[in-house]
Amino acid sequence: MAKKAKTSVSKTGVKKARTARRNKGRKKAAQKKPGLPHRLLRISMLLLGLGIGLGAPWVIWLDVQVRSEFDGRKWDLPSRVYARPLSLYEGKAISRRSLLAELKAAGYRQSSGAGEPGSFSVDGYRFDIHRRAFRFEDGAKPAARIKLRLSNDSVVYLRGDSTVAEQGLVRLDPAEIASIYPLHDEDRTLVVLQDVPELLVTGLQAVEDRQFKNHHGVVLRSIGRAMLANVRAGRTVQGGSTLTQQLVKNYFLTSERTLVRKVNEAIMAVLLEWHYDKTQILEAYINEIFLGQQGKYSIHGFGRASEFYFDRPLKDLDVQQIALLVGMVRGASLYNPRRNPERSLQRRNQVLDIFGSTGLLSDSEVEIAKSRPLGVTDKPRSGGSRYPAFVDMVRRQLKRDYRSSDLRSAGLRIFTTLAPSEQDYAQQAVSGGLDDLQRRGLPAELQGALVLVDVASGEVRALVGDRVAGRNYFNRALDARRQIGSVIKPLIYLLALEHVDDYNLITPVRDEPVSLRQADGSVWSPVNYDHKSRGEIPLLEALVHSYNQATVKVGFKVGVVNLIRKIRQLGVNAEVPAVPATLLGAVELTPIEVTQMYQSLAAGGYSVPLRSVTAVQTPQGELLNRYPLRLMPLEQREAVAVLNFAMTQVVEQGTARNLHDLLGNDTLIAGKTGTTNERRDSWFVGYTRDRVAVAWVGRDDNKPAGVTGSNAAMRVWAALFRQLPIFAIDLRMPDGVNFVWVDMQQNALTDPSCPAAVQLPFIDASEPESTTACLDKLDRKNRKSLWRKWFESDD
Amino acid sequence: MLFPLVLVACSSQTHIRVDDREVTTRVRAPASEESAGVQVYSLQSPAVRQLTAQAEDAERTGDLDLATGYLERALRIQPQDPQLLQHMAELKLQIEDYQQALNFAFRSYDTGPRVGEICSRNWRTISVAREHLRDVSGANEAQARATQCMNTRPKGF
Repeated sequence: MAKKAKTSVSKTGVKKARTARRNKGRKKAAQKKPGLPHRLLRISMLLLGLGIGLGAPWVIWLDVQVRSEFDGRKWDLPSRVYARPLSLYEGKAISRRSLLAELKAAGYRQSSGAGEPGSFSVDGYRFDIHRRAFRFEDGAKPAARIKLRLSNDSVVYLRGDSTVAEQGLVRLDPAEIASIYPLHDEDRTLVVLQDVPELLVTGLQAVEDRQFKNHHGVVLRSIGRAMLANVRAGRTVQGGSTLTQQLVKNYFLTSERTLVRKVNEAIMAVLLEWHYDKTQILEAYINEIFLGQQGKYSIHGFGRASEFYFDRPLKDLDVQQIALLVGMVRGASLYNPRRNPERSLQRRNQVLDIFGSTGLLSDSEVEIAKSRPLGVTDKPRSGGSRYPAFVDMVRRQLKRDYRSSDLRSAGLRIFTTLAPSEQDYAQQAVSGGLDDLQRRGLPAELQGALVLVDVASGEVRALVGDRVAGRNYFNRALDARRQIGSVIKPLIYLLALEHVDDYNLITPVRDEPVSLRQADGSVWSPVNYDHKSRGEIPLLEALVHSYNQATVKVGFKVGVVNLIRKIRQLGVNAEVPAVPATLLGAVELTPIEVTQMYQSLAAGGYSVPLRSVTAVQTPQGELLNRYPLRLMPLEQREAVAVLNFAMTQVVEQGTARNLHDLLGNDTLIAGKTGTTNERRDSWFVGYTRDRVAVAWVGRDDNKPAGVTGSNAAMRVWAALFRQLPIFAIDLRMPDGVNFVWVDMQQNALTDPSCPAAVQLPFIDASEPESTTACLDKLDRKNRKSLWRKWFESDD
Repeated sequence: MLFPLVLVACSSQTHIRVDDREVTTRVRAPASEESAGVQVYSLQSPAVRQLTAQAEDAERTGDLDLATGYLERALRIQPQDPQLLQHMAELKLQIEDYQQALNFAFRSYDTGPRVGEICSRNWRTISVAREHLRDVSGANEAQARATQCMNTRPKGF
């Protein structure tokens, strides 16, 4: 191979001399015999006329085709997508592990002394961080050195050497989580020519197309030689295509190898060269060429291939890795290093020899490179981003909220809400959690989704749509529409609590068998989880233990239509059937929709549309758009506050009571489990003061999965929150709601000194009217003073 | 799909600097005058105090977008801080986003002491916003609530 390459190089020189001689000869002949050429000219003019008449429209059509392909895929500077910048200040809750994860995600290197921007050093719980200069959403900040100390998972000391304005509050430059073309649907990892290793640029030409710099799209000689070889062999053995032709072929990928197709490709190659310059064509080639297959997704471009095979950015590849990829151009599946390692190695070394023989590498460099292993990772990394599910959401929100003319501009800077450390924990919670469930005997086909949102701002901190990290064939967090089961129940009780005259937390409700003839004639008779009915029980107990029959009774009173209206008010626009089974969650919603509903509740009725993007900037730093924080308050927030209290009791004493053990933490949090028929879906919704998260576990084929809310999704949820700071739910009630001492079973006011006295929140005018016998025994005066005492102690 | 509550018209907020004296004369000044001494301030972290100071500076120079940005950062640190929420309400009043002014003032009242100066600012903001939203009786009612901030005991603890 090396020999052959050398000969073809030397031939180039010879060729030029020959062409010059031939041209001279032609001129002489033309001068001597004017008659024959004249006739030939006429014939050729005729042919030309015919050619133009028939061929011109054809060529024009091809021109339109190839230009629209090229322009449509012309890869300008991609838009950069940033995570949220980490704010550091004294009092900030963050563990050592999380801070290290954040630094790593933002590409900080650990080095003693933290001399360079983008490096840090750590000594126990003391960090020395050298922040890079960065243009944030609201302006540029210079590089700065920060010293900080952590203690008990929070920042206890922070000093910066930067401008005074930043003392006490420093933002780190954010992790770059993806570069995308907002209007294209594929996850490509695109590269600009300046960032491509020199050896790849020269090596590609040495191996695939040595005339690239000089030809006009096709090299007839190579085509002729290839045709000859193919005719001799009786089959296709040689390509003879230029890089330009290969690019064209790649645009219209087809296995067809007819002559017409070849001619079309050649014409289009010439047209491409006519319209665009070599660097544009080469850049397109590098970003476009087919280099492998992963399931139904094709791997296009060297940038993406570099991540797919080596899990490294293209610019960091070693010599032998570049050679391997260049070798794969000839047959991505034939030389696939994972499937055909031996053949791939052989091909790689062949390419390295060409690099050597054409002077791109020295002999010793070739030998060293050849001695190296393939260096391919075991598992392919999928998706251009480490967080493809989240980036998917970013794309959708951009398309929804921005004009496509804005998104077409090159090199936008997109600021998002992702917290890399929390995203990592969330993915681990799903991946590790499902592995764990499998070990406990649940099916191997289990899939999961997890959404983590900041309560007050609705900012999405983490989004997991697949059990496998980095995979995003199906983004379950956004697209898995599943029945939500008991997760709907709190909304029914919320509706009830809004009727101050009829309901409060201790209103007796009937948990007893219920039968209903449905529209299709069938009879619907829901039963409780344990097939027992409890009779008359306080409303709080019905919710806390998630009794189906009691819920259906309350549901009939409040009305299915109102329930559907409530779902809309909570920010979800999905098709919800107005049938009785809706009362028990026969409603299909996606995890993100469920999160939206519960964000509204967790924020005390101040609904905020969930968002993954906070701002978009042009490359010049001009704000294209900001998404400001907007509050959408619900009516009757008093009922929301009472419901939130009830949801804490689900965790304290109800269906989610194992949660504290799973978390190893007794902090007051709110939650609700959900299971659907035949254990197909497992849901858990839970919130702390500042985070709301929804976990779903089930099978993609919707077959029974053996899951319940507490055995599967709650474990995943807990695995996430074990890594996060947990702040207790704020039980301060809004105006018009007060804590009152009552006796739940007697549905009556009582006194803290009476037996069975509990303190529960009541909306004004919803308190029970009767009093317990115990309270009657206390004289009126004494009672008053006790009330006063209670108020004063809590003021 | 989802996210029905599209972030409507949040792009480029109108920068017309309307009567910011309205905020001063009808909200801040009277509330401060009435309250003289009656105020419980929530504890703010130094980081939040710093961002608040920056927001105030930006507000003084008329860059209300920048001021909003600072307050949003502060709210990420202390999302339920009544002073931050009220400050945001007053910024919304100045950019004539009366519905949001109303919403933030209510949120501030819900999370706040419901007494003293901040309570008075809450209700005065609500009153002014309602007036602009042509809810005259609501505006009057809010005005009356503002005056009660100085003599009602805090409730609901």
